[in-house]
Amino acid sequence: MEKNSKIFVSAAICSLLFITLFGCKKESGQKIEQRNWQLVWSDEFNGSAGMSPDSTKWKFDIGNGGWGNEELETYTKDTSNASTDGNGNLAITAKANWVTDHWENITSARIKTIGLFEQSYGRFEARIKTPWGPGMWPAFWLLGSNVNSVAWPQCGEIDIMELRGQKPNIINGTVHGPGYSGGAGITKSFAFENTRFDVDFHLFAVEWGKDYIDFFVDNTLYEEITPGNVTGNWVFDHPFYIILNVAVGGNYVGYPTSQTTFPQKMLVDYVKVYKQAD
Amino acid sequence: MKKLKSICSIAALVTILLMAVSCEKKLDGLKLATYPTTADVFIDGFSTGLYYAAYGTSKVTAFNVDYSVKYSGTCSMKFEVPDAGDPNGSYAGGVFGANPARDLSGYNVLTFWAKASQPATIVLVGFGNDMGTSKYQVSLANLQVNSNWVEYYIPIPDPSLLTQENGMFYYAAAPQNGRGYTFWIDELKFEKLGTIAHANFGIFNGHDSIVDNVETGEEFQISDFYDTFNLPTGVDQKSNLSASYFTFTSSNPSVATVNDLGLVRVADTGSAVITAKVAGTGAKGSLTISVTGLKIAPTQPAPVPTIAGNKVISLFSNAYTNVKVDSWNTHWQFSTAENQNIQINGDDVIRYKKLNFVGIEFSSQPVDASAMATFHIDLWTPDTTANKTFKVKLIDFGPDGVYGGGDDSNSEISIGSPPLSTQNWISLNIPLSSFSGLSSKSHLAQLVLSGDLPDVYIDNVYFFNDGSTSPEPTTAAPVPTFNAANVLSVFSDSYTNVAGTNLNPNWGQTTVFSQVPIAGNNTLKYKGLNYQGIQLGSSQNVSAMSFLHLDYWSASSFSLNVFLISTGPVEKSYVLPVPTSGWAGVDIPLSSFSPVNLADVIQFKFVGNGDVYIDNIFFHK
Repeated sequence: MEKNSKIFVSAAICSLLFITLFGCKKESGQKIEQRNWQLVWSDEFNGSAGMSPDSTKWKFDIGNGGWGNEELETYTKDTSNASTDGNGNLAITAKANWVTDHWENITSARIKTIGLFEQSYGRFEARIKTPWGPGMWPAFWLLGSNVNSVAWPQCGEIDIMELRGQKPNIINGTVHGPGYSGGAGITKSFAFENTRFDVDFHLFAVEWGKDYIDFFVDNTLYEEITPGNVTGNWVFDHPFYIILNVAVGGNYVGYPTSQTTFPQKMLVDYVKVYKQAD
Repeated sequence: MKKLKSICSIAALVTILLMAVSCEKKLDGLKLATYPTTADVFIDGFSTGLYYAAYGTSKVTAFNVDYSVKYSGTCSMKFEVPDAGDPNGSYAGGVFGANPARDLSGYNVLTFWAKASQPATIVLVGFGNDMGTSKYQVSLANLQVNSNWVEYYIPIPDPSLLTQENGMFYYAAAPQNGRGYTFWIDELKFEKLGTIAHANFGIFNGHDSIVDNVETGEEFQISDFYDTFNLPTGVDQKSNLSASYFTFTSSNPSVATVNDLGLVRVADTGSAVITAKVAGTGAKGSLTISVTGLKIAPTQPAPVPTIAGNKVISLFSNAYTNVKVDSWNTHWQFSTAENQNIQINGDDVIRYKKLNFVGIEFSSQPVDASAMATFHIDLWTPDTTANKTFKVKLIDFGPDGVYGGGDDSNSEISIGSPPLSTQNWISLNIPLSSFSGLSSKSHLAQLVLSGDLPDVYIDNVYFFNDGSTSPEPTTAAPVPTFNAANVLSVFSDSYTNVAGTNLNPNWGQTTVFSQVPIAGNNTLKYKGLNYQGIQLGSSQNVSAMSFLHLDYWSASSFSLNVFLISTGPVEKSYVLPVPTSGWAGVDIPLSSFSPVNLADVIQFKFVGNGDVYIDNIFFHK
């Protein structure tokens, strides 16, 4: 998700390869032994309808320019793009207007906990119902808090959930670091055979320790990444912060078409972060 | 063999059901029939009970089973679309049905793989066509195919309805740019897929239709039924549906009812909104009607004509023998008029609705009205008439008696309010001389009614000449009483008039001008007015004056305007209400003629129709 347009040009191609070679392991996860988690931070998004996300927990990324991936949206802090829905969810809404033969005025939102909540290790989870349609790219991810001093990909990135709207039954879990960023990120997909991520809420989580990052959908483990899996330095040893966003268009997902429908919402029931009890 | 086995299994199923439900004793009444739930339509050959029927007008040999091209298994369905103009049929199309019918209620989508010999657009594919009532039909229009195998989906809008469906698949395919092509379909089957999501439904293509001024007894058909589903590819796909998937509701059944097929019947005054649902989900689009009640029609017939029949050529009247009229509504291009023959107390009347203009034709036997003097029509409208016009145009086909040929002529009279009036019969007697553009009246062949009254009732349409000369005033215009010192006169026996004035300048008008004495008083007579000028003997400065005074009289004019003109020319018109009842006198504030230069007035002009008498034209303080 982080800026690096050149790498992401090849990313799309590599991602396709990944899907072909490794992808679509349908519900082939496994359970692991329950760890002893202690809740340290959460947002249940219980605000009334139309309330901006809690500013003691979230900041906004604002603006356009593609965010390194040729994305089309302009991120705003408008409540029409990000607000609680009054039903216990945060809604991040991507909007656009169809003009003659293409979409214009595409807006969306990207919120983050940088400077407000950062943590190394633990369980990061969110219960989400995704948007759908070609060009839709919702994500729940973590970025190294030292991104402004050591830059990307040295800071590290953990993508807990990314989805391409034209594949509404498949998500990917990915890590990026030095030597394995962009299209070379270490990734695996999780696919539903007979349902989709946009018809019901599902729980996306990573459990992150000193020498492992485990990826879960609905408490089913489908991917474990260890220092031995990555093709560079293990940089997941310092605090990370949380990001939630809906991107539209770009190298990873392709562009919205006449068959995409707007507005599209990513609904987030809650985000919770745990630390492992001693 | 396969078929036999299937029949055996149905028999077994029925037996099991019978055993499960019934005791040893006789059955109490009829049991619901059950139907096979077979999902496959065509995998590697016809599924059990499947039959094919080509459309009678299509190339009936277009479909075959192909054992060399297939997506998987041993064979596929091949459709050879013919060239345009193929003597054996110029398109491919037909229906794959199942006998016995099938219970598809456990599935939610028809899926198949397709490819074609070239990129092509298949006109439509779908299911639910049973070559009968096709109650539950779903179709995709303009299916894009190319030379790669691609999977296609046609979702079922409400599977619970398809418990007894014969129509498994149907299609229609036409040549591409006149040339035929071939497409293949394989693995055609019903499935239940959790990856089909986000159903939406609509009527009227999702539009909210609003119809005002609806009359009791009218009917409307709800149309353009559709669904959209989001496919496993993330794209929304729209299908066209039959009405039976929808349940319809009227917000006000006493005003309008709606039946199972979406036919709306209007019952009473008020308003009602018709909406629809599919399987409990509200459909986009609606019909809102505002009912004005029974149509507003005259309660009394038009006045019965009194002119003797031998002085009349009648087009439409119960009082006379009518000549042949070919059509009272020719439905010419852009005409929205609808006509209706109705009776009021036994009197025949023609009603026009949605009238913008209507062509009325009697060209097969043109009317020779050369001996006639006046055109008569009775008119009734429920519409407000303020600032509205009704226009009557007569068209003469000339000596050749046929349309065109360079000898046709026409002329139109515009009628304002008054004499137009709401919900009153008015009788218009228009002198034929007023139709000044008609070069002949001996081959009249068309009548055009137009204007901005959308609802009119007409009666007693005829030409007549009762021998009376056209009416003229029997008394002189009133003698003006203004002090001569405060008057600047153009035409009056009571004052000194501007010297050298030309009362009949030749400006190309067709008006017949004369000065006539009416009860000994000099009066201007404009017969068959189209326009008429007055050239003042010299430029007049009337800026010290306040009003222009005129006396005028007309029984036959339906339009009259007076213009004041200064050098330039700069001119401005003023409307004089006609026809008059006796002499009408007006004092027009000179400010009405702005921007005419009141220090340099040189001319007058009258524009209109009919026969008009004018007297006492002067300015005063």
